[in-house]
Amino acid sequence: MNCVELQESLAEIEIDEGGNVEQKTHLRNCPHCSALVDELSRIVAAASELQAADEPSPRVWNSIAIQLRQEGLIRPQPRRPVVPSFTARWGQTRWLVPAAAVLLLLVGIYVRQESLPNQLAKHASAIQVANPSGLDDEDLMQEVAANAPAMQPEYADNLRRVNESIEDAQSAVNDDPNDPEARRALMDAYQQKSMLFEMAMDRP
Amino acid sequence: MVSRRTAKMVAIGVLVAGALVAESKKEFHFTVGPKAGVSVMNPYGSISVRPSTNNMVVVNAVLHSDKVEVDNSQTGNRVDIQSHLLAGADAESGRVDYEVLVPSDASVTLHSSTGSLHAEKLHGDVSLEGPGATVDVRDVSDAHVHVKTMNGAVTLNNIQNGHVEVDSLSGEVTLTGVNGPLVQVVSTSGRINYIGDFGNSGEYRLTSHSGDIEATIPEWTSADVVAHSVRGEVHDDIPLQPKTHTWFPVDKGRAFAGTMGRVAVSSTVVLRTFSGKIHLRKRSEKQ
Repeated sequence: MNCVELQESLAEIEIDEGGNVEQKTHLRNCPHCSALVDELSRIVAAASELQAADEPSPRVWNSIAIQLRQEGLIRPQPRRPVVPSFTARWGQTRWLVPAAAVLLLLVGIYVRQESLPNQLAKHASAIQVANPSGLDDEDLMQEVAANAPAMQPEYADNLRRVNESIEDAQSAVNDDPNDPEARRALMDAYQQKSMLFEMAMDRP
Repeated sequence: MVSRRTAKMVAIGVLVAGALVAESKKEFHFTVGPKAGVSVMNPYGSISVRPSTNNMVVVNAVLHSDKVEVDNSQTGNRVDIQSHLLAGADAESGRVDYEVLVPSDASVTLHSSTGSLHAEKLHGDVSLEGPGATVDVRDVSDAHVHVKTMNGAVTLNNIQNGHVEVDSLSGEVTLTGVNGPLVQVVSTSGRINYIGDFGNSGEYRLTSHSGDIEATIPEWTSADVVAHSVRGEVHDDIPLQPKTHTWFPVDKGRAFAGTMGRVAVSSTVVLRTFSGKIHLRKRSEKQ
């Protein structure tokens, strides 16, 4: 067995057992392949110890995506069809997933509150968990600085407005969790913020 | 000796001449069939679309420098125009202003970050989007009209039987003579003005978080109207027959709900704001 054959058969090597006779013989005589298998063994061992919490945060992926975009290594997807849905472009903006998740959470809470009015107080506390900062304003402004520096003041101003609207509505929900209009205002405010993010990413 | 004034004039002349030399015009022609799709993506500059008298799409582009090109393509019944920024282009040197003629039944998608977006006399779907773009759409019928802006003003005029959706963050939105099965405006802080009669049997939803909402309608309008401001005020100049059931408490000054005109042909009108004011005004005969 030569190096190429061994490397092609790597997937079949049982790390614990050190491979079959041919593989073992080659590994004994080839320091290069031996080092490679040692390294793979360490990776496999370390991977099994990874916890879910070790997953990089969405923000890490966002930063990578932004960096790749700035370096021209990835490009936006082809344009959408005529008169697209305003909500059909999430695929381009992976880093909006946390925003969408927050929205879905709010919608879920809203629907549940509509159907179970007696549990309003309990769910109102859940609404409070939805912090606007979860939408990562820094990433938005970073994206704008890279792609539309001239529009930074406008984006900053609108981001401030929409954050204020979220705080306003959140405050009203806190004051009266039974007020459907306040809850609706909070949902609308989050949707507006999502739109701002979408707009920052979706440029010609 | 050359006076200072003359020197200044010469300098300005040189600058203007330089700008004119850098500016160039391009024209493109495409033959299309019925219900063509036309898309213009322009990072910087205006786009204006009007109807042509034949089955041609004609694109006139004014490029403000040689740091931008116009890419164009036709795939079947679809025409795509894209301003292509070259290295070093900025909002000024990358600017392209478009005048586009399309068959009136074409569906049009326009996108510009800055500048104005304008479409008129069409009856195909229209989608306009631009963070800082001002939007003006008029004389459109039997079509979807979708607008999305951040702080640009939006003006829709004479949209008949439209499916209208406007999303804006802080720009003022003015709808005049706009009706159809769905007319929806959502804004964060922009003011919303509606001047019209709410059509027949449509759904009209105007929402602004902190912006004021004003609807000016003739007395003979038929509509089910609900208005609610969480922390602002509502004013109603038109007598409504009060509703017996609403999904929210009708606190005087904060909300009203009622019917006006003929119930059988009435539209549904929902006006919402968090902290702005809502004013339902009667249109005077002079308006």
